[in-house]
Amino acid sequence: VLTSFGRALRITERAARRLDPVPAVVALDVTVDADLAALTDRLRALGWDRVDGVLHAIAFAPPAALGGGFLSTGWPDVAVALQVSTWSFVALTRALLPLLGRGSAVVGLDFDASRAWPSYDWMGVAKAGLESACRYLAREVGPRGVRANLVAAGPLSTVAATSVPGFAALAERWGERAPLGWDTRDAEPVARACVALLSDWFPATTGTVVYVDGGARAVG
Amino acid sequence: VVDRAEVMTVLGQQAEELLDLKADQLREELSFKTDLDVDSLALVEFTMAVEDAFAIDLPEDEVVDLVSIGAFVDLILAKTALASPA
Repeated sequence: VLTSFGRALRITERAARRLDPVPAVVALDVTVDADLAALTDRLRALGWDRVDGVLHAIAFAPPAALGGGFLSTGWPDVAVALQVSTWSFVALTRALLPLLGRGSAVVGLDFDASRAWPSYDWMGVAKAGLESACRYLAREVGPRGVRANLVAAGPLSTVAATSVPGFAALAERWGERAPLGWDTRDAEPVARACVALLSDWFPATTGTVVYVDGGARAVG
Repeated sequence: VVDRAEVMTVLGQQAEELLDLKADQLREELSFKTDLDVDSLALVEFTMAVEDAFAIDLPEDEVVDLVSIGAFVDLILAKTALASPA
């Protein structure tokens, strides 16, 4: 099952039609409480009584929150970034709790928030919050046997990345630093890590970040 | 083999359907982004429709940064040439 909303919905539906079998696309805006509240019923209506894995691939920051205006970004822009990129990880999981059970797993997408990157600005703050939220979420859902983890990827050349100023320079340095090298066009290593964390091959891992970055974080 | 005029015809059809533009607004020297006010989200959907039309795979992130519609046509022609048997 894929989710999407607003103008992106048609893009998601187009992408879904290229998959085999074609997955259902459910409209979900994580900033709308009614959408979150209706989610389990929508999934049940599609025949899903249990969810084994959830991939949270949701982030957004208004242009004013990225690209070098860190000191001047106002709260309304920062609030949007935190609501969509940090809080929604917990909100989505909470919305799905009735369908999650022992062995279920939630995975979110992260970018190493242990340091301050050029121009990533409030998105970086949101990712730091995401890492903390993941730890608290793990604490909450652990007793139900549900795991919550993040995958921190190196820079990938996505359409979203084209709106991050300074992305090209960052991506170039990444490739030089990473012991394994880094291909910004190959999302497969990141996808594999997500699948692995959602699977039962990480049964005792929760509240942590797995780095899929070519090893860049490990070296100075 | 697909030629330039054919590509422009398909781009025109898809632009009318998806981008709220008229086919004759597409000129090779113009940029979707700066001249025709097409944002990245609209351009992604448009690009996917063009991929389906020609049965090719285009790198969306590159398309978003292309300077002109002419460059987009070049990219499509290069991909269709690769896709069709010599």
